[in-house]
Amino acid sequence: MTDLSVSTTSPSAAIPQKSLPEAAPKVTARNLNFYYGEHHALKNINLTLGTNRVTAFIGPSGCGKSTLLRIFNRMYDLYPGQRATGQLMLDQTNILDPKLDLNLLRARIGMVFQKPTPFPMTIYENIAFGIRLYEKISKSEMDGRVEKALRGGALWNEVKDKLNASGLSLSGGQQQRLCIARTVAVRPEVILFDEPCSALDPISTAKVEELIQELSEDYTIAIVTHNMQQAARVSDKTAFMYLGELIEFDDTSKIFTSPSDRRTQDYITGRFG
Amino acid sequence: MRVVNGLARQEATLLQYQSTQGIGVADMAVQSDVMAAAGPYDRAKALSAFKLGDITFYWITRACAISVLLILGGIILSLIVGAWPAIREYGFAFLFTQRWAPSADPPVLGALGPIYGTLITSVIAMMIAIPVGIGIAIFLTELCPQWLRRPIGIAIELLAGIPSIIYGMWGFFVLGPFLANTFQPFMIRLFDGVPVLGAVFAGPPSYLSLFNAALILAIMVLPFITAISVDVFKTVPPVLKEAAYGVGCTTWEVVRNVVIPYTRVGVIGGIMLALGRALGETMAVTFIIGNSFRISSSIFAPGTTISAAIASEFAESDGLHQSGLILLGLLLFVLTFIVLACARLMLMRLEKKAGN
Repeated sequence: MTDLSVSTTSPSAAIPQKSLPEAAPKVTARNLNFYYGEHHALKNINLTLGTNRVTAFIGPSGCGKSTLLRIFNRMYDLYPGQRATGQLMLDQTNILDPKLDLNLLRARIGMVFQKPTPFPMTIYENIAFGIRLYEKISKSEMDGRVEKALRGGALWNEVKDKLNASGLSLSGGQQQRLCIARTVAVRPEVILFDEPCSALDPISTAKVEELIQELSEDYTIAIVTHNMQQAARVSDKTAFMYLGELIEFDDTSKIFTSPSDRRTQDYITGRFG
Repeated sequence: MRVVNGLARQEATLLQYQSTQGIGVADMAVQSDVMAAAGPYDRAKALSAFKLGDITFYWITRACAISVLLILGGIILSLIVGAWPAIREYGFAFLFTQRWAPSADPPVLGALGPIYGTLITSVIAMMIAIPVGIGIAIFLTELCPQWLRRPIGIAIELLAGIPSIIYGMWGFFVLGPFLANTFQPFMIRLFDGVPVLGAVFAGPPSYLSLFNAALILAIMVLPFITAISVDVFKTVPPVLKEAAYGVGCTTWEVVRNVVIPYTRVGVIGGIMLALGRALGETMAVTFIIGNSFRISSSIFAPGTTISAAIASEFAESDGLHQSGLILLGLLLFVLTFIVLACARLMLMRLEKKAGN
């Protein structure tokens, strides 16, 4: 209700400056369906993530936003009984191909989780670990890459004097930026954010949002969020999902000012969800 | 204005007073029981009753905790008292003497053989049990299909429940002959002439040997390592594993870099528990180790351990011989303590390295 005024004004303030042309498709879903065992969780999803664009996914809890994100990097593969059908392409690669090398796929599509998940090692190692999986580089080169990644995660100035401290010793917001830096360090093409700010305080949230904006210059970004102002602030396109269906997918400014579906309108004005 | 205010205030206080009293005098009598039960006075009484309970509880738990110290101290003390004649007779030479001749005159007793046997069997047992035990735990938690999980889990629990005497019999009648006829000749031939290893795997094959005992020990301690590792592996948050998979780790890399570092304290605890059992295990080892006090370079030769030596000789010992056996027991106690202390140190090192 109060959301309405903010969410309708801010995108119209933010988007026109960018005035982006239609981007080349990076990830394309066609008739994508997903099942948790018998439960049909996603129904006929069709959408594209534009290259170097931020796409936000909004919708009430349980609508399938996070599920959709977890299909993009095949995270669901870890669990028995979960399966996806349809077509999902990353450039020319079929993500759903059972023969696809998942490790390489996940190097191309990084993910940042709802809760900060630093590995149980030092700050330096948290970054170097991912790089080492793919590249054999010298110590000095590694130092440079770690610094670059931490700068990319807007964390360098806060941790440069304690790179050998445990990643777990950082505050929640710092941990989350460490996780973003770790994801960036592997040089993915797509970064998935699954409610990256829901466990953070407002200041850390602002930092992470700013970071997402910066990252969108180099990466294709998909972000799931419960916070509609956040979707309005950071994204170029917004997808509204409801009960496993993609209800509306359009420019963020359009979704938040003149949505074409009644349910989208109701959701963003706070009438349900 | 002020007067009116004052009046109003008076009236208000009066009203307040009446409402706190709430009721007329007649009602008071009826309600007095209820008031007393809930009144502040009784609450104090109830609290003091609780306090008594608290104090009793505090002292009972404290007594339980202190009793552990008393028992431990008592055992150490009685060991030292029992071992005193042997300590006075042999001094530090006891540790470095290999000869064990209790019936000589005067008796010559040295602990080197049993100490060597204890350490060697435990080390070999751990070398086998740690990788296999953790391997099973990883398979059960990360890779195993759901339907196979329960059978393997139950089998491991049963393995832990088998009495050690049964392991001893099985080792004596089945495993010992099997190893002596197949594995031992193979290893002896394989390493024949190789420096160092040739001496470690030297013949002849034997039904009763350090290696057989170590293998039985490995089987016996395996369930400890596996059960504890499985329990602590399950405590790793799924999202942490997903994050590691998310940067493109293979299952092995996730286990190596996330699961094991995250759970290392628990895993090492399980290993220490297993090592403690291996060092002190008596019955199964006494059956199959051969009870020879001679130190041989070969792990296929018979030997003895501290606990096996005590178990096989204590019943028919007296005088200095008995005192020497008690001193062996004291040494086992010290050995276990040193091992546990080393484990603590190792944990502290690990934690420092991880930056905590």
